[in-house]
Amino acid sequence: MGKKGVPEWLNSSLWSSSSARLRHPVSPPTRPPIPESPPPPRPPPAPAEAPRPSSGTPPEDPSPAQEESPARFAYGCRIRVQLSKKVVNIGELRRLASQGIPDAAGIRSTIWKLLLGYLPNDHEFWVQELDRKRAQYKDFKEEFLVNPSEMARKLEESTGHKNEGMESGGCGFMMRSEIAHDEHPLSLGKTSVWNQFFQDTEIIEQIDRDVKRTHPDMHFFCGDTSLAKSNQEALRHILIIFAKLNPGIRYVQGMNEVLAPLFYVFRNDPDQNNAAYAEADAFFCFVELLSGFRDNFCQKLDNSVVGIRSTIAKLSELLKKHDGELWRHLEITTKVNPQFYAFRWITLLLTQEFNFADSLHIWDTLLSDPEGPQETLLRVCCAMLILVRRRLLAGDFTSNLKLLQNYPSTNISHLLYVANKLHGASAG
Amino acid sequence: MVLVLAIGDLHIPHRAPDLPAKFKSMLVPGKIQHILCTGNLCIKEVHDYLKSLCPDLHIARGEYDEDARYPENKTLTIGQFKLGLCHGHQIIPWGDLDSLAMLQRQLDVDILVTGHTHQFKAYKHEAGVVINPGSATGAYSSITYDVNPSFVLMDIDGLRVVVYVYELIDGEVKVDKIDFKKTANTQSAH
Repeated sequence: MGKKGVPEWLNSSLWSSSSARLRHPVSPPTRPPIPESPPPPRPPPAPAEAPRPSSGTPPEDPSPAQEESPARFAYGCRIRVQLSKKVVNIGELRRLASQGIPDAAGIRSTIWKLLLGYLPNDHEFWVQELDRKRAQYKDFKEEFLVNPSEMARKLEESTGHKNEGMESGGCGFMMRSEIAHDEHPLSLGKTSVWNQFFQDTEIIEQIDRDVKRTHPDMHFFCGDTSLAKSNQEALRHILIIFAKLNPGIRYVQGMNEVLAPLFYVFRNDPDQNNAAYAEADAFFCFVELLSGFRDNFCQKLDNSVVGIRSTIAKLSELLKKHDGELWRHLEITTKVNPQFYAFRWITLLLTQEFNFADSLHIWDTLLSDPEGPQETLLRVCCAMLILVRRRLLAGDFTSNLKLLQNYPSTNISHLLYVANKLHGASAG
Repeated sequence: MVLVLAIGDLHIPHRAPDLPAKFKSMLVPGKIQHILCTGNLCIKEVHDYLKSLCPDLHIARGEYDEDARYPENKTLTIGQFKLGLCHGHQIIPWGDLDSLAMLQRQLDVDILVTGHTHQFKAYKHEAGVVINPGSATGAYSSITYDVNPSFVLMDIDGLRVVVYVYELIDGEVKVDKIDFKKTANTQSAH
């Protein structure tokens, strides 16, 4: 237990209580971007093993059985009050959501839709907006998920073309008819429906493989039940339509992992009507979420200012600013290149590092950032590094890499608290 | 949506060196699910080439095939349709539609694919449909020298078949199609 030099916020008595969250001082609503200022004069945070015993306690039970401490209960009420207002104050909602959304309330689905801008702030327009978007998705499905045979058949039925029946009487040579420009299965023409279909087949196979591998431990996604199969179908459809609508980026492995929590939350919406349209809602929210991150998935942009490498470099800078000793040890002494561990953390928004319920909590915080999840994400990653600093400082390349690629389970609320503190500290 | 290629009478190397280049550029692996080959390939290299296009290859024996193990007739079911395959030199008179109809009733298939005449034909009678894909290389036949290279691609989609006919006329590939469908599967009493 560290006694000397431990900042009081790390040594707070809160970590021994059972209450999951604490009310920390209001963070300023307009957050400036993390400034690249010289490191603050205060010493780097002393060993964070003071709170370590708390992460040794069993992690939060994933099922929504959180004890309703008075603070928590009041917090849940405040969120509900916000939601029930006619015009939701989105800034206030963001602030509240950043502290985490209670699982039991079943409101996560609606809140995420508001945070991602899928639902407008004004309640009055919800139904209209939802209907419009869901109809649009239905059109997308009809346009993109049909194979060329069916397309040809529909075209014929609409023109009233009569097929020759096989058993209808009469013998004779069968009539040959012309085909519209180049529309035959072996066509190599660029505008041919068939050619495009076969070119897409490769991507569709990739999507199929990944969808089958999503969260194999969860019955929701994987298994022989019809529920799992229909969920997988929905994921497939969403990813295929996204790939077809975005020829620049198509499908990249990992998008299924980013989609999975969205779909899960929307499908488990207590409102049956909403749950039925989970696929359409998840599609639009996925597009919205990915719009900030597309550049991470585009290989050509890897080395550019907006690409994944520069994001990882930002993380590195952040760590250097907050914990220079750890940074030096990781990057210089043990030469653990942040790309080895941070790549997955960043591109998949930490879905692979924690269990599913924990990653939903982290996403509450990530999505509540008004400027997009990236800044918060980097701070959470930095907090993850700081929390295990003792083990990292004691380890060499192999053990550090092993630790970071299999990040140990930890108290999520503590992690988010530390991340938030980093933000506060960086503001000076 | 199942794509079935019907092709045959290539007579490589005896009467033709290879498939026309335009045909070869269109026949790429990954698109076709089944191949029905009427026979007279004649050598193993052609067999290997067809196998590379699609692993599910069915061949009937033609009189000049070097591999004696191909069967005389073959039947298979694809989707809702039963297809039959035979080279056709056994059916006398060659290319006679009534005799082919007899074979079709004998094999009890909806679509019979035969060759030997090197002329494309698509013929319908009470028991079903007979399709002759012609010769893919344009090799001369026992009957005539005037042969256009041709082959057939069938798109079987439920109860409906679209037959795409590919012919090489004056150096250009012409594609036509023929549509037909069958009424729902009835139990054949005979």
